[in-house]
Amino acid sequence: MENIETKLREEAKRLLLEKKVDVIIGYEEGTLPLTATPCFITKPEEADKLVWNNLCTQNLAKFVHDLITAHKNSQKRVKPEDRKKKVIGVVARGCTTRSLIIHLQERQYERDEVYMIGVPCDGYVDGKGLKVKIGGADIVEGSIDGGQIKMKTSDGDKTVVLKDVLADSCLTCRFNNPIISDVMIGSPAPAMNPDAEYNDVKEFEAKTMEERWAYFTKEMEKCIRCNACRQACPSCYCPTCFVEQSQPQWVGIGEDKSDTQVFQFMRLYHMVGRCVDCGSCVSVCPMGVDLRKFLKKIDKDCWEFFGNRAGSSMEDMPPLGKYDEHHDKQDFIYNP
Amino acid sequence: MARRKFATLKSFLNYIGVEGDRTIFTWVSASEGDRWAQVIKGATEKIRALGPANKIVKTIG
Repeated sequence: MENIETKLREEAKRLLLEKKVDVIIGYEEGTLPLTATPCFITKPEEADKLVWNNLCTQNLAKFVHDLITAHKNSQKRVKPEDRKKKVIGVVARGCTTRSLIIHLQERQYERDEVYMIGVPCDGYVDGKGLKVKIGGADIVEGSIDGGQIKMKTSDGDKTVVLKDVLADSCLTCRFNNPIISDVMIGSPAPAMNPDAEYNDVKEFEAKTMEERWAYFTKEMEKCIRCNACRQACPSCYCPTCFVEQSQPQWVGIGEDKSDTQVFQFMRLYHMVGRCVDCGSCVSVCPMGVDLRKFLKKIDKDCWEFFGNRAGSSMEDMPPLGKYDEHHDKQDFIYNP
Repeated sequence: MARRKFATLKSFLNYIGVEGDRTIFTWVSASEGDRWAQVIKGATEKIRALGPANKIVKTIG
């Protein structure tokens, strides 16, 4: 990983010096031990801040969309001929490139407005899982070395095997290497275990209707409507979310049980053909709602019904934007 | 595409534990009065058999 980090910094410096990009979105070391946090780099000398390791969690595609939208809004009062394009460089692993492809498919910005610095990924550490694994102790210091996490904690020194604390979405990741990139740093990472990706969903499907409903209500009762999942999700970029619309008001604000269910259900359902299973929503959820169980079902349906995996190809159209007369299932249509 | 949306919606509702049979989707032309009546009759019967919907219900007050 060290090697990739050095190359990444060199590349970032070069891009900024040559003015190929205006800003680079990457990860820097977090303020807490064993964390990494997104950072925005505009000066070549700042490029040394960049890190790339198993602690880089958030999907950076979200910030690409945010920056480009903000820039476009700031250009609204500029004469069309004087408008400038802002090029965003982004450190992109598999899931980030998938999200960027979704943005491009949905015509959010042009391909030349984003410069993808592809990096191989072998999964990120699930912070909540790690905390559980070490018995809730506070981490004082830590480092990742050779597939192991060594930590000094409030409860003494601890060592955890990296594979045991990777996020669920990473363990069964199918696209851990960038799908498209302008420049690729390092060699592709070894494959994860994608064959097991729907095991959870299949297990849940086998339960009875009442059990499934009980699980859904139990999970949704945890939700405090903080909207962190929406803010972290690269596919949630509507200028006004349906949650905040008041004319008409689709769903009540506040913590009413049914409102929470409707909010979560609708947000999840908006992810048909758009969820890349990056795990950002799961990682930011303060209440630990099991969102992935439901998102993965949507992904599975999309694959089984339409043969589409979100953002897996630049040439594809969004699956809900087209229709295949010969292969689409017909059994949901009601015929008296 | 409405059909794709409904296919996934029905499946997803079923997955979270709301009877998928409550989602009824079909095409009826404005000129097909008889078919329209049949669809509605069929739908009513289907839903009556399922009983009242008591999931995702908001109580006010």
